[in-house]
Amino acid sequence: MQGPVFSFVPGDSFLHTLDPRTKLAAVMLLGILTFRTESFFGIVTLFVFFFALASISGLPARVFLRAVRPMILFIIFIFFAQLFFTKGHVLTSFWILNPSLEGLQNGLRLSARFILLLLFAALMTASTDPSAITSGIERMLRPLPLRWLGVNSFELATMMNLSISFLPILFERAERTKVAQASRGMYFGKNPLRSVSALAIPLIKGVIRDAEELALAMESRGYQGTRRTSIHELRMQRRDWISLFALILFADFMLRF
Amino acid sequence: MIRLENVSYSYSDGKPAIRDIYIEIRKGEYIGIIGRNGSGKSTLALHFNGLLKPGKGKVMVKGMDTRDISMLQEIRKIVGIVFQNPETQFIGRTVEEDLAFGPENLCLPPEEIRRRVERVLAEIGLENYRYHSPKTLSGGQGQCVALAGTLTMEPECLVFDEVSSMLDPDSGKLVLKHVKKLHEKEKTIIYITHNLEELHDADRIIVMDRGRIVLEGKTENVLSNPFLLDLGLTPPPLMDLAERLKKHGVMIPWEKTSSPSNFAEEICQLFLKT
Ligand SMILES: Nc1ncnc2c1ncn2[C@@H]1O[C@H](COP(=O)(O)OP(=O)(O)OP(=O)(O)O)[C@@H](O)[C@H]1O
Ligand SMILES: [Mg+2]
Repeated sequence: MQGPVFSFVPGDSFLHTLDPRTKLAAVMLLGILTFRTESFFGIVTLFVFFFALASISGLPARVFLRAVRPMILFIIFIFFAQLFFTKGHVLTSFWILNPSLEGLQNGLRLSARFILLLLFAALMTASTDPSAITSGIERMLRPLPLRWLGVNSFELATMMNLSISFLPILFERAERTKVAQASRGMYFGKNPLRSVSALAIPLIKGVIRDAEELALAMESRGYQGTRRTSIHELRMQRRDWISLFALILFADFMLRF
Repeated sequence: MIRLENVSYSYSDGKPAIRDIYIEIRKGEYIGIIGRNGSGKSTLALHFNGLLKPGKGKVMVKGMDTRDISMLQEIRKIVGIVFQNPETQFIGRTVEEDLAFGPENLCLPPEEIRRRVERVLAEIGLENYRYHSPKTLSGGQGQCVALAGTLTMEPECLVFDEVSSMLDPDSGKLVLKHVKKLHEKEKTIIYITHNLEELHDADRIIVMDRGRIVLEGKTENVLSNPFLLDLGLTPPPLMDLAERLKKHGVMIPWEKTSSPSNFAEEICQLFLKT
């Protein structure tokens, strides 16, 4: 896979220049809104709203397709489950299945909600540098009394970044260990317990070594787990406040239906 | 600028990994460190910026003792280390984020961090990969990101610990090219390697064996020393050849042993003269 990570597409649209905190808050608000919206009119309005934002963002359509595609089976499943298992006016019956009108409505509504959720999330991740998202989260967490948990917001943010970037290394190592053991005649089908220990021990050893090396590299570059700055200048500007205000008005309008 | 006095260090097993090391490194010097597996090179490398504290003796960086915790951040600003495995050095999810990691720890203001990231991206030729995940890059590019990540700290001295041993020869040459450029910019370079050929441009070479310094001197003298073979190190073929020719009275100047084409040229010259 070559190309920018996640679905981030660098750009300079209005959405790109918003503060990540504005976008995080907006996604949360829109998420709530999506699940509070019952009427079909409301859901259509949300789709229209999404298309408006998407066209402002100038992001290519494939970004959004890529966000929805992996979930499509799940959405179809939800749709059919609602269709067949909601009691109400039976539309037709085949065999033992009695799709109902209410089921059709519920199914459409629920799948539309999931799709909206994915689309709004994709809009945020595609228009925001991933490290800016963590900076934003870090800044939002900073006032919380995290000291009680024995961490600070800086450590939490670094942990978040690392777990995202370090997990793939772990999987890759698991795969390599498996291949290495298999080439030594280890057979992974028969006795699951044996294969687990044959995999786990070298894997854990390897992971610990990786983690030690990573910790050294971090320390060498001055990491102390204390206050640090960020390349992203987080500053709520007028356009952030205006956007949030507009969004709240929009939510208020939607919830009146 | 860096001084190790009588430094010894043992890991938890109690066996000293390095012992009685005395090294003095001057500003702008290019030093090579060689030695077989387990001879203590990496242990030594970790002492240069206080990642390991000497068990005995002391390490001074520009007059600061690495055991002084209040000086550590200052020391890490001065001495950066690039490690062997690019994968376990990536901290950011994008190249940009990775390069910003060091300066962020130094609590620099965002504009300054951005300025440094831009400059280093251009210097190492990584502009096009700014928003790429370091993991999607090839080994050579990955190692360039690791180097770039230390360069944004703007260190005066760079330590390279077997940075090319996991790379193919071409990628290794790319990294080495950057090392050479940094040396020309008057950075102090400490280059640890198994591949003696990479050290042609070094000013001085230190040879380690079983935790001790067993040989030290000017690059051409060390690389032509027959003692290297006893230490499990193979001299670069061209230098070896030059050494053998010398015994037959054919003198090939040291500079000409840097590449086969230079070597061939020199031999042709000699033929034409006679
Ligand atoms: N984390 C550790 N814990 C315990 N012993 C260690 C550790 N790291 C290295 N050693 C031991 O210290 C000695 C020196 O190792 P070191 O890694 O410094 O050698 P090296 O010259 O870098 O070797 P290589 O060429 O393989 O990188 C070895 O005997 C090694 O087994
Ligand atoms: Mg080593």
